[in-house]
Amino acid sequence: MAVVRPFDKLPALNSAAVLLVGSDESLQQKLAEAILKEKKNFKISIHLATSLPLPSERDHLRPRIDLIAFMIDIKSKYSLKNVEASLAHVDASFFLGKVCFLVTGVGRVNYCSVEMNAIWKLGEVYCSPVLYCELELEGIRVATAQRLLRMLQICAGHIPGVSALSFGLLMRNSADE
Amino acid sequence: MAEKLPEQMSDYQHVPPEIVNESVGHADAKEELLDECESIWRQMEECQSKLTLLGTETLPESDAKLSLLMMRVKALTAEYNQWQKRSPEIISTNPDVLVALGKEELQKVKNGLEMVLSTVQSKNKKLREDLKREQQWHEEQQQIVDVLNGIEEEMKNQVVQFSEKRAFQELKNKMLKLRTYKEELLNALGEFLEEHFPLPEEDGSAKKKKKNSSEEPAVELVTLHEILEILINKLMSTPHEPYLTISDSFWPPYIELLLRYGIALRHPEDPNRIRLEAFHQ
Repeated sequence: MAVVRPFDKLPALNSAAVLLVGSDESLQQKLAEAILKEKKNFKISIHLATSLPLPSERDHLRPRIDLIAFMIDIKSKYSLKNVEASLAHVDASFFLGKVCFLVTGVGRVNYCSVEMNAIWKLGEVYCSPVLYCELELEGIRVATAQRLLRMLQICAGHIPGVSALSFGLLMRNSADE
Repeated sequence: MAEKLPEQMSDYQHVPPEIVNESVGHADAKEELLDECESIWRQMEECQSKLTLLGTETLPESDAKLSLLMMRVKALTAEYNQWQKRSPEIISTNPDVLVALGKEELQKVKNGLEMVLSTVQSKNKKLREDLKREQQWHEEQQQIVDVLNGIEEEMKNQVVQFSEKRAFQELKNKMLKLRTYKEELLNALGEFLEEHFPLPEEDGSAKKKKKNSSEEPAVELVTLHEILEILINKLMSTPHEPYLTISDSFWPPYIELLLRYGIALRHPEDPNRIRLEAFHQ
């Protein structure tokens, strides 16, 4: 399947899946480890991909994806290009609260080689939250992992009364004000 | 429809798994719950099959935002309607299920309370340690204050002694200075007198005068310096009787000089006696 869809499979019991898309694999790995270290009361599967679309031959092994985090490194123009290209392979209904942009390298703005405006616009156009972080720093990595985990819980429907859409709306409003 | 799914899923996942396990002995309770789960799962499968019928839809390159916003409006409206329709679910009235649920809730509360207890205990411990440290600190400060007070007392005494001593020393110094100054003055005066008022000599004008004024050379003449000294001493030692009888050893011109310049005064009744003018009064 070329396009990732949010509800193409039945969910598994007490579990959630997050898909990290980014060109820097070592950073992905670090973030994934940080997420796995967090205490949680559900099974989590983390899928790493450098870009979309996902290979279709392993599609039957993949669980339902509840949240896609696109990782952009402000030090690499390519990471932004890569994310922009990958966005075409995401089903539109994913953007109803199940996508976020993770911008890393915020601690070193002097090495910034992408336009921050372009990133901001990306979040604006795709109606998705943009999280700024510095994954190289352990403390911030842990905090980011916790944030992602919380979002994932909501996106997977583990929090009664809050849907991904309404949560995304909350995030948007707070970001705009 | 899309947003209905997560809600149902959350319902589904909030049937505590341990209830299913615990109530092994209560087959009917387990049966009931399983039935409930099955029906929810069936509902979900229905939704799922409807969802898969919907084709995939990627965002168009241009106007992605607009189409996305339209989608959001639709989805939010649907979610809103869903909430409107939704009525609170009633949990099973099966006593076993209720007991299990109650147990679980109590367990949760217990866990929470245990956490609070341990937190409070550790906080208390920390506070106790803090208090101990603060007390120790206070004690140390008290000691320092005591020591400082002692030092202050000592210093005060020293200062008093010191100032008395110093004042004494100063006075002494002043006196010494005055003495030396007096000495200097006396010396200077003596030198001045010696230089300008010498004794009449054989070949000086004084000798002529001496020859003219008195024929007896036998008497040893005293210097003006000595005359003045005698006068001063007389005035100082016997202020009630400062007069001095003029003797032959006083050279008359000097006596005349003293009288003329008001340094000495003649006794009002006895012309042979003189005294020093009372300069010091």
